[in-house]
Amino acid sequence: MDESWVQTLQAAPDIWAVFLQARRRDAHVYVGDVHASDAEMALLLAKENYARRDPCVSLWVVPARDIRATSGDAAEMFAPVTDKSYRFGGSYRQQQRVYRGGYQTAAADGDETR
Amino acid sequence: MSAPAVAIADPAVRAAFREWLLRVADDELTIGHRHSEWTGVGPDIESDVAMSSIAQEELGHARLFYEQVAGDDPGGADRLAYGRAPDDYRNAVLLELPNQGWEFSIIRLALYEAYEGLRLGLLARCGQEPVAGLAATLGREERYHGLFASTWLERLAGAPHGDAGGTAGPRAKVQAALDAAWPYALGFFETTEADEVLLGAGVLTQPAAQQRESWEAAVRPLLARCHLTVPVAAPRDGGRRGLHTADLTQLHREMTEVWRSDPEARW
Repeated sequence: MDESWVQTLQAAPDIWAVFLQARRRDAHVYVGDVHASDAEMALLLAKENYARRDPCVSLWVVPARDIRATSGDAAEMFAPVTDKSYRFGGSYRQQQRVYRGGYQTAAADGDETR
Repeated sequence: MSAPAVAIADPAVRAAFREWLLRVADDELTIGHRHSEWTGVGPDIESDVAMSSIAQEELGHARLFYEQVAGDDPGGADRLAYGRAPDDYRNAVLLELPNQGWEFSIIRLALYEAYEGLRLGLLARCGQEPVAGLAATLGREERYHGLFASTWLERLAGAPHGDAGGTAGPRAKVQAALDAAWPYALGFFETTEADEVLLGAGVLTQPAAQQRESWEAAVRPLLARCHLTVPVAAPRDGGRRGLHTADLTQLHREMTEVWRSDPEARW
């Protein structure tokens, strides 16, 4: 198996990546890191450091070292070689709605309709 | 929207209610200023930001209660906050003490937030609007303050993530901080004639002795979880009667400095 394009983030064990969900049904978006001894402390600190000004309904924290990433030299895989505009479909609203959402935490599983 | 303010007819009850609100506001003002002293020197940048944020919120709560006391008097809230002499303040002495160390600030925050939660509950049931509605709303913000204190305290004391015990470890420092803070924390429950008046009028629904029981029932499990021993000590009070330490004089000088430079200024 070729794993040369997969890498582990180089981060200290106390670095936690913070993901913020601004509104229900939005995806959690990476907003930065916190130093913390454990997950509970990471959530506690993330709340005041990333959610004190902007809207937020849910936070995720993940040990940065547990994130797997594509390596730098894999970047060219993402670049289109031929015209792919037929795939874009930006005007399809249903597709946009499907793309939003992702994993929902228990608290975010409301009765809202999509 | 909160209901319009209804003035209490009986002047004695009105004065007692005012005194209660001043205790709340003075408590929030003094601990808010002490917390703000961590800005820039917290143990890590994240906790520094969080503690500073808590400080801002305590000062914000103080302002809301000063405004309740000041009523329509323009600039009245500022004058109450910064224009009185130290012996006019009614805060519990614990809250004016210097930070000493992070563990002391965390212990103090934990002890205070448990009390503050209880007191906001009592204010929410005082039957006086808009104070009651205000108290119910503020409780939501205080929840994070309590979480911040207990989460930090559990880690400083080494529970439940391993053993920080021993006589020289972090837990020993936390125990020393608890020993120092506890007698002053009992000063939360100091009473004056105002308490009798408020109880008689049904504005206050729980006497101080019962408040202390509820408070201990809230803090003792947390302290036990942290393997901390609650000291046996007599209350060190006085704050509710205006008897303060030199630490308040120092704090007062510093926090009123800008206001004193021009008391008539509108901010």
